[in-house]
Amino acid sequence: MFENKIEKILTKHWSEIDPLKIRDYLAVGGYSALKKFIKKSNREKILEEIKFSKLSGRGGAGFPTGMKWEMVMSQEKKEKYFICNLDESEPGVYKDRTLAENNPHLLLEGIIVSALVVGAKKSYIYLNGNYEKANNILAQAIKQAQENGFLGEKILDSDYSLQLEIFSGAGAYICGEETALINSIEGNRGEPKLRPPYPAESGLLGMPTVVNNAETIANIPWIVLNGGKRYANCSTKLFILGGAVKKRGVFEASIKTTIKEAIENLGGGILDGKDFWFAQVGGASGRLFLKEELNVPVSGSGAVLVVDKNANIYDLLLSWAGFFRRESCGKCVPCREGTFRLNEIAQRLRDGEISDRDKIAVEDILWTLENTTFCPLGKFAATAWRDAVEKLKIFSK
Amino acid sequence: MLKSATAEKILLEFDPQKNNLLLALKEINANFGYISKDNAKKTAEYFSLPLSQIYETASFYDLINLEKAADLVIKVCSGADCVLGGANKIVSEIENYFRIKSGDKFNPKISLEIVSCFGMCAQGPIMVINGKIFEKVTTSRMHEILNEYV
Ligand SMILES: Cc1cc2nc3c(=O)[nH]c(=O)nc-3n(C[C@H](O)[C@H](O)[C@H](O)COP(=O)(O)O)c2cc1C
Ligand code: SF4
Ligand code: FES
Repeated sequence: MFENKIEKILTKHWSEIDPLKIRDYLAVGGYSALKKFIKKSNREKILEEIKFSKLSGRGGAGFPTGMKWEMVMSQEKKEKYFICNLDESEPGVYKDRTLAENNPHLLLEGIIVSALVVGAKKSYIYLNGNYEKANNILAQAIKQAQENGFLGEKILDSDYSLQLEIFSGAGAYICGEETALINSIEGNRGEPKLRPPYPAESGLLGMPTVVNNAETIANIPWIVLNGGKRYANCSTKLFILGGAVKKRGVFEASIKTTIKEAIENLGGGILDGKDFWFAQVGGASGRLFLKEELNVPVSGSGAVLVVDKNANIYDLLLSWAGFFRRESCGKCVPCREGTFRLNEIAQRLRDGEISDRDKIAVEDILWTLENTTFCPLGKFAATAWRDAVEKLKIFSK
Repeated sequence: MLKSATAEKILLEFDPQKNNLLLALKEINANFGYISKDNAKKTAEYFSLPLSQIYETASFYDLINLEKAADLVIKVCSGADCVLGGANKIVSEIENYFRIKSGDKFNPKISLEIVSCFGMCAQGPIMVINGKIFEKVTTSRMHEILNEYV
């Protein structure tokens, strides 16, 4: 089958490992990337490999990981931080949680190697506040890694030291944005900050900071062991299939997987008796794709939601608008007011009370969100609605 | 942690540095169900921060309450996957049956909140009652479940 043709990097040991036992991870060669880095390699060599690998961020923006690390490595300041972003609050996206729950030590090994390479002595996992199970599993894994000398002072008897803490969030989507995340750890409201300065120069407590998505980090041990050039030819990614497909869940497949392939080969195709209408790619902030637009790679966070012709589009419009209304951090007016009004209109639409004035207002609100908000959340709020207006023609029926 | 813990005791578990503020607030919230005025003051003193800073931070986060929560807190996920699976029917059924409106905080006995995705979309619709998660909820299952609480 299609998905078996690839070499699995992220999900390889999921079924054989007890996530609560470090022994299981060690038995499949776990922590040998950390050992290789400490005993046989160095920070510059690993950075080279990451650059060769062309690994790019899996948190949505796709920034080259090697470049981000290099920016922090080149900073003079002594104190540096490494943060694993496991906030994952995009509706329909739960790949990082699944990864952490199934193979927590793969993630820890990735964090430890990454943090040491960029020169951090202190690192954090910023965890979605609702992820209790993942929290317990990761806390246990951190304890075991310390007991085995992979974390703490003098890691594997080297001069490297690293502390790792879980920082559990408190329910705010915007805290997945890296500058808001840093504000949140510092004890402030989780509002985004103006950039520049970028976190690479001035991040947590004003120090150079790398923020990487959990899935990005989980690729690091494989690259350290097998080399960046090989990785560049066989990169994989996690995909999350939802909606009207036969198999919903998280799957690993080639990074080049198209939307059509994801639906058919990973999700097993559309449910029997259902008629495909469109797919939303990337969660609530994702674009909509019609049947003839599915031959492009899945972009962003990897979520593919299949919507069939019987679905109630007004329920979905309200789901999207309600989400962004709740999650707008309120810092800037266009997003605070725009998401509020879009949500009101969505309620009227669902209740069948839409007026011509509302239709004109939607156009104004979407334009404002697309062009004038402080951070990308405002644009996200307009994305699916824009496509619903233009591709699904919700107003011209 | 014991429900009898006092805010003072909880605070002592944290170094009084600002980057522990959110964690401390979450812990107090977990014990008392919300941050009372009194406990907000104690937190401000402990961290040597102005009281306004405590509220500034606390009011931002969904998982921290500034008012005493209702006895029965029902949350229903409104993410696309749960909605396609019928979450809105569950919401209107709860609203009609208990004569409450989602989002209203007037009733000290029961409240209904429409919340964002829990990341359990393949098991949806998801309903959470006083912190306990229920999967694949239908309107009839919803009645069965709620019967055990009221
Ligand atoms: C509104 C918003 C929400 C975000 N949420 C997340 C998230 O939950 N997880 C994540 O890894 N990145 C999220 N990001 C992207 C981060 O800001 C950042 O780019 C990412 O963590 C960098 O890691 P990467 O380069 O490994 O992808 C979000 C960005 C925005 C604008
Ligand atoms: S666009 Fe929205 S989320 Fe971003 S800063 Fe403005 S109000 Fe906050
Ligand atoms: S959509 Fe309800 S849990 Fe994700």
